[in-house]
Amino acid sequence: MTRLMRIPFAVEALLIALLVIAFFAFPYNLAFVTRILIMVLFVLSIDLVLGFAGIATLGQAALYGTGAYAAGLFAVHVTAAPLPGLLIGMVAGAALAFLSGLVLLRTKGLTLIMLTIAVAQICQEVANKARDVTGGADGLRGIRMEPVLGLFEFDFIGITAYWYVAIVVFIVFLALKRLAAAPLGLSLRGIHESPERMLAIGAPVYRRQVLAYTLGGGIAGIAGALAAQVTQLVSLEVYSFTLSAEALIMLILGGTGRLWGAIVGVVLFMTVHHVAASADPYNWLFFIGFMVLGVVFFLPGGMIRLPQALLRLGRQR
Amino acid sequence: MKRTISGLSAAAMLLLGTSLGAQADTIKVGVVAPFSGPFALYGKQFQEAIQVYQAEHGTTAGEHEIEFIYKDSGGPNPDQARSLTQELLIKDRVDYLAGYVFTPNAMAVAPLLDQSETPLVIFNAATSAINAQSDYYLRTSYTLWQVSMPMAEWAYDQGIRSVVTAVSDYGPGIDAENAFVAAFQEAGGEIKDSIRMPMSTTDFTPFIQSIRDQAPDALFTFLPGGPPTFGFTKTYNENGLRDEGIMFLGTAETEESNLQAFGDAAIGLTTAYHYSADHDSDLNRAFIAKNTEMHPDSVTNWATIGAYDGTHLIYEMVEAAGTDGPAAIEAAKGLEWESPRGPLVMDPETRTVVQNVYIREVERDEESGLLVNREKGVIATVGDLGWGK
Repeated sequence: MTRLMRIPFAVEALLIALLVIAFFAFPYNLAFVTRILIMVLFVLSIDLVLGFAGIATLGQAALYGTGAYAAGLFAVHVTAAPLPGLLIGMVAGAALAFLSGLVLLRTKGLTLIMLTIAVAQICQEVANKARDVTGGADGLRGIRMEPVLGLFEFDFIGITAYWYVAIVVFIVFLALKRLAAAPLGLSLRGIHESPERMLAIGAPVYRRQVLAYTLGGGIAGIAGALAAQVTQLVSLEVYSFTLSAEALIMLILGGTGRLWGAIVGVVLFMTVHHVAASADPYNWLFFIGFMVLGVVFFLPGGMIRLPQALLRLGRQR
Repeated sequence: MKRTISGLSAAAMLLLGTSLGAQADTIKVGVVAPFSGPFALYGKQFQEAIQVYQAEHGTTAGEHEIEFIYKDSGGPNPDQARSLTQELLIKDRVDYLAGYVFTPNAMAVAPLLDQSETPLVIFNAATSAINAQSDYYLRTSYTLWQVSMPMAEWAYDQGIRSVVTAVSDYGPGIDAENAFVAAFQEAGGEIKDSIRMPMSTTDFTPFIQSIRDQAPDALFTFLPGGPPTFGFTKTYNENGLRDEGIMFLGTAETEESNLQAFGDAAIGLTTAYHYSADHDSDLNRAFIAKNTEMHPDSVTNWATIGAYDGTHLIYEMVEAAGTDGPAAIEAAKGLEWESPRGPLVMDPETRTVVQNVYIREVERDEESGLLVNREKGVIATVGDLGWGK
């Protein structure tokens, strides 16, 4: 993998190849592959917050949900053009992350985790109470998207939705890759390793963390907005604890602190879920459970470490 | 880029179209329901009801073989419901859809139904607004307005003049409250207070105490099944509201899968609902006997009957129209049949069944020793009263 990174644009080419292959390999499952891509984006946002900056969160759904409702309401009341909606979703997610982050990031450890959960719960209750605006438990309906850029109509098979989401995910991935190599990304890693030392060498830890949380919120907001535009309905579940927790499991499965970890984890989790759930609609949760247990026990660094682990095993022989 | 994409989608559409014609001998029905997680009971009951119907009527309707494909939607999750439905339509090429327990899940597929002209039979989701989203929705369950308004009118006829409503603070609860309050005030009764209890409430004492202090003739409630219902009725009894003559009025609270767990606390609770397993008809007894024979652990309740009648409706549509969606909807409109729950008519306008609503009281059956919802009165042929509200 590291050798691959040195070739210019190798990662970009690999990603594009994967997206094109997925498109032709699963012509009948495009809706499902699109959901995977949206989830990848959401898990990437957690990776930035948790894996890079070391901010423990179990409430990322608050930012995802706010992006979804913002984009949904924008499409219903202002304009149904997808790209402005995406921007609104991003701004809404980032704004909530910034405001809540100012308070949240003064705490750490368990307190921080509890508070992130609390923010998501408060958002959910507000959305539930504001029934006239959000549709409450029935969901926000009436979202009918216009063609992307006025050219590509959202079709029944989901071809437009797939490429629309794929391109957005691709762009965000590249941006995150740049960020990881930039001074900001490095200082976030430093904060992750040891906030005290970073403070000692003069890095503004608190401000950097708020910045990372806000960026993560913006990305989660984009993911939520994409979900709202593709599904054309937003329900209270966008704020659910299950969503935050499942996304975190996917990230741990793939490997935290690595951008590829988010992709591997989501693809693995959702594919196993999908295949197992259609093979055995009653007992598929067992498969998921065993898979997570297996990875946590044998590959603590996540699936992304599998090649290295196998290599080491080979050398021992 | 655009040309290739539109070319591709045209090819896919063509593929879809030819497959519909070629597969006329087997018609597939996609069932989207929860089969895992806390709501898995719904999916199990839907499947059991379909199996009972197939055991009784065979697997062919007209000249077509009917095959059911089950997909697990989990809980309320519109993203998942939509992509599963899309997959059923595109990959499995189903001609009919069925199931759908939660309102957002049903709502999310409306554009798909319009685009693919596929009829969808709702087995459960009970919000009136769903059917207005697409002409391809049909519903064989009920709507909250359909049972809450008759409850209010019946209560007024019984001489009840003042009521306090206490509902769980979520979509269906608020629907039930609105319906009851509208009908009760229309009749001339007084609503003393409308309490909305948070979903996660476990201690109902403050709410019950407040109802007691206001001393209405009756209280009307709507709670999600399971623990909240147990907690609420237990507190109702313990605080002596029954002894003070404050009558308990509800809808789905005493449904059969919860009923035995209540114990004697449930005796005397009055509810208005469209199905009781105790319904006195040969058809119902035969239906329950068959279900118990095939699935000894199963409890027959409103979810079972919703799916059973829904399956009947699909058979009728397949026989009349085969794979032609719009023709199937036309054939379903105005269709009349006798169900184990009583006579049914598919309302051409609201596409929700018009049915009897029964006023029931919980009693202990002398023969079996089990608690039952004994029917005390019938409000005949009620349509979806929430349509357009």
